[in-house]
Amino acid sequence: MTSYLIVKLCSVLGAGLAIGLGAIGSAVGEGFIAMKALQALGRQPKASGPLLRTMLIGQAVTETAAIFALVIALVLLFQTPDASVSWIKGVTFIAAGIAIGFGTIGSGLGAGLPGGAACEGIGKNPKNTDVLSLHMLIAQAVTQTATIFSLTVSLILIMSTPEPTLTAAFALLGAGCAIGFGAIGPGIGDGLVAYNANRAVAKNPKHMALLTRTMLIGQAVTETTDIYAMVVSLMLIFVV
Amino acid sequence: MDEGQIIIKAIALLAAGLAMGLGAIGPGIGEGFAAGKACESLGRRPDEANLITRTMLIGQAVSETTGIYALVIALILIFVV
Repeated sequence: MTSYLIVKLCSVLGAGLAIGLGAIGSAVGEGFIAMKALQALGRQPKASGPLLRTMLIGQAVTETAAIFALVIALVLLFQTPDASVSWIKGVTFIAAGIAIGFGTIGSGLGAGLPGGAACEGIGKNPKNTDVLSLHMLIAQAVTQTATIFSLTVSLILIMSTPEPTLTAAFALLGAGCAIGFGAIGPGIGDGLVAYNANRAVAKNPKHMALLTRTMLIGQAVTETTDIYAMVVSLMLIFVV
Repeated sequence: MDEGQIIIKAIALLAAGLAMGLGAIGPGIGEGFAAGKACESLGRRPDEANLITRTMLIGQAVSETTGIYALVIALILIFVV
């Protein structure tokens, strides 16, 4: 088998991993928002306007994680390696697929949680719609950091051209696994912080500033493990 | 390096990635739980903001430890093995 064929096969496999795994988190997160919106609609049918709006905005932000995975899948599918390409390029494509595929699961689930909490809060008191959707958007933006780290690492992996050795091949796969799996936990964790903070805002909207501040501190600490994972995977790509 | 050593080095690098990647899942979710419940109780008792934030940070630091273990093992696997 020529190395051109190996690289082409690996790029297709990487694209499958990227979008197949990458669609899990966002889909579940969006379903959670819709579920909470429907529950709230059962309680407050008159608030259907703000509920629908908040649900759609929340779902659109939750979708970003899956869109990042889709972008990487398309980049991998349309790779046209030249005839003299080395087999190691194929390993970088599989590693990129693992990185973005697993890396979007956490953020997708995490972004769904505050969206659901905001819909629940609007169902309890439609007057708080503005405060809750603003808080939801801030929280969802922070939950996406985990995916953005994965996206960065997988783009670096796609662009890199390492030496074709066994050690480099395993180091690249290790880099993909580190940021891919490493982004799951912080993504879900950020979402849990945002979920509880948003519910607290719904109960007590006048303490929105204090709650947002505490939420951001909590999310920043939760993000640290993701940063460790990114440091390890960059080390595996560049230092080894 | 002979072939056996190269294979050991290669597998150690993959293991470093797996160690850090899988090791980061737990602390991430755990710290999220701590901060989430801190926000919930802050919503109920905003006057106790300092106490709640302090306790939240201590709790998160403790749940961070397993993530740091994973980081240490990953660095050992990259540079020492």
